[in-house]
Amino acid sequence: MTVLREEKYWDVLYQSAQGPAKRRNQDSSAVRVTSDGDLVFAVADGHGAPVHPRSHVGSRHAVEVFTASGIEFAVRARAAAGSGPGGFRRLWTDAHDRMPRELVLKWRRQVLGTDGESLGEQPRLYESLRPFGTTLIGVVLTDGLFAAWQLGDGDLVVVDDDGSLTQPLTPARPELGDDTESMCSRRAWQLMRVHCALPGDPGRLPRMVALSTDGLSNSFAERDGFVRFVRDVDRRITAEGPAAVDEALQGWLAQAGRYSGDDTTAVVARNRRTLPPHGGREEED
Amino acid sequence: MSGMLATGTRLTTEDGEEMVVSGLLGSGGQGEVYQVKGAMGEKALKWYYPGCATAEQWDIVHNLVGRGFTDDRFLWPQAMVTGPRSGFGYLMDIRPERFRGLPDLFRRELDTSPLALVTAGLHMVEAYQALHSKGIAYRDISYGNLFFDPDNGDVLVCDNDNAVGEGEVTGIAGTMEFMAPELVRGDPGAMPGTQTDLHSLSVLLFMLLTNHHPLKGRAELDINCLDEAAERRLFGKRPVFVFDPENDANCPDPDEHRTVLLTWPTIPPVLQKLFVQNFTDGLRDASHRVRETQWRHALSEVRDTIVVCADCGKQNLTEPRETKPGVCWRCRHTLMLPPRLVVTTRMPKVERHLRLRHKAKVYAHHLQAEPDRHRYGPDGLVAELVEHPQKPGKYGLANRTGTTWSTRRSDGTAQQVAPGQTVPLRAGLEVDLGLARAVVREH
Repeated sequence: MTVLREEKYWDVLYQSAQGPAKRRNQDSSAVRVTSDGDLVFAVADGHGAPVHPRSHVGSRHAVEVFTASGIEFAVRARAAAGSGPGGFRRLWTDAHDRMPRELVLKWRRQVLGTDGESLGEQPRLYESLRPFGTTLIGVVLTDGLFAAWQLGDGDLVVVDDDGSLTQPLTPARPELGDDTESMCSRRAWQLMRVHCALPGDPGRLPRMVALSTDGLSNSFAERDGFVRFVRDVDRRITAEGPAAVDEALQGWLAQAGRYSGDDTTAVVARNRRTLPPHGGREEED
Repeated sequence: MSGMLATGTRLTTEDGEEMVVSGLLGSGGQGEVYQVKGAMGEKALKWYYPGCATAEQWDIVHNLVGRGFTDDRFLWPQAMVTGPRSGFGYLMDIRPERFRGLPDLFRRELDTSPLALVTAGLHMVEAYQALHSKGIAYRDISYGNLFFDPDNGDVLVCDNDNAVGEGEVTGIAGTMEFMAPELVRGDPGAMPGTQTDLHSLSVLLFMLLTNHHPLKGRAELDINCLDEAAERRLFGKRPVFVFDPENDANCPDPDEHRTVLLTWPTIPPVLQKLFVQNFTDGLRDASHRVRETQWRHALSEVRDTIVVCADCGKQNLTEPRETKPGVCWRCRHTLMLPPRLVVTTRMPKVERHLRLRHKAKVYAHHLQAEPDRHRYGPDGLVAELVEHPQKPGKYGLANRTGTTWSTRRSDGTAQQVAPGQTVPLRAGLEVDLGLARAVVREH
């Protein structure tokens, strides 16, 4: 079932379709909203190969850890906004250094069930983590901040108010074949890509932010096809409102899964501040 | 996400030069960087976030602009820029694409070499030394501010807008994991300056050469949440070097810290000793920190004595004066040490040892006792090891200067070597290079 959440500032659509030949869906997604209206969401793609038999558990923990840490980060971001130039700098460092490390270490503790114990004492740590291997992409959006983190494959696509489309976390070198960086990699926090923009003004936040596992983009023969798909989602939300797209998303993901053969998960956050008053959601009201 | 300045926004420098914003290049912890066009050509404009556009920041940058620093290793603030409303920024040159950030190196997304990394380290040390010699403290040395060319090790220091005169007090203390322990702890009287820059510089050098932070060992793994309190403990209150010879409390974890366990043994003892000094005694007493001149000397020596493994072709850093060959870090075969060229400057006498590896080069700075900087470009080339075009395996030293060399073999035979000519390489060969004398030694 497609889920549409109408939050204070954002409409959020999220859904996942199991790959046609898969025994279970190894993708996970999560969306959380704070009382201040800050939005935190994530998708994770469990690797699924025989050496990662518990990757569905790994992906679930990854999005749970992200949303918990993301909310704490959003609180720190709000505090930083009111603490002068030093606050911005600390937040920048926080996003690039503290968050990646915290996400990976918390995830390790959760999948291994070792809360409170020293990971340094864990024997054969990486062998223990490998069964849970997963990717992670997560976003935090507050009034004055847009931050995102990515480890491994998958897509973060940003559509700005002028319709321009960017992918700020695309790796410098494309990953080859099915090899991807993972939460179970050595010093995985060093492999995490980070995007942190501090606009300080809600009017400059993106119009749409879309996260998806690689099952979606891999279903298109060319990268352009995926980009057109995202543009089309944005255009249809503008024209028909989020509820109409909400209804269709389930079918699109299932169809994508038939082409890629993979689980397919997407979370789309649409900025309600930029939605025209004649949009579909308003008509529903 | 749209930037603070829309494309097409018109701005002016303090001197009245006009420019137009042509696009957003990136963003950081203090502001955003735009590409702008004007009579001065294409430049980069750093524009501060409203919360960072303070009177204090204005004064710092204004002062830096006034200094007119033209060193090509820095993207220096060139002009203050104001907009139609409040807010300000400064102009600088655009960073050329060949310069890449250190995070790319740490993620292993760059093709580079030990030679380029040592060269980058040397250039980096000299760049900050040049700044310090002008009485300016950088105060925010970190991996986010240094860019390097992975092909040749050229460096470019960016984000210079927090540098102030030594002793001046401002709000910026740096990035925690690069800050000197006394700053992290907030010791009474401790303030960012050249002395604390030396600590940050050593951290950055260590990371450049080993791909790891010098204080992140086992103790790091015991931290559940790397919040400010944990960082203060790790980098300020209880900092321990991962290779502290007398304290293994923070030694590398064999699983988690495999990279540094593999890279540290590839660092020659001359550099290892300096790192140990800096991250043991130097953590406790700032006066024991390694000076730029010490780093410079050691890195220059190590660069001159890099040896290429004859079996696998990988570059190996070697101990500069060592005559016994070690083993290759990659294939573990014993290295074949090429002959040495010992260059001795005339006054004062300083001896330099260069391994005559494939395409080895002698530069102008080798002929000076205390060069102001090391330049490895074609302009400074003095001599070059070349292979005989008709006799493979026979090498000679080609004269790349504009003056004739006087040479003498070990049997006393003298020979004049005109510019462009080559003298065959033999043990005992002496070459008068003008400012210095060079001798070829077998081992």
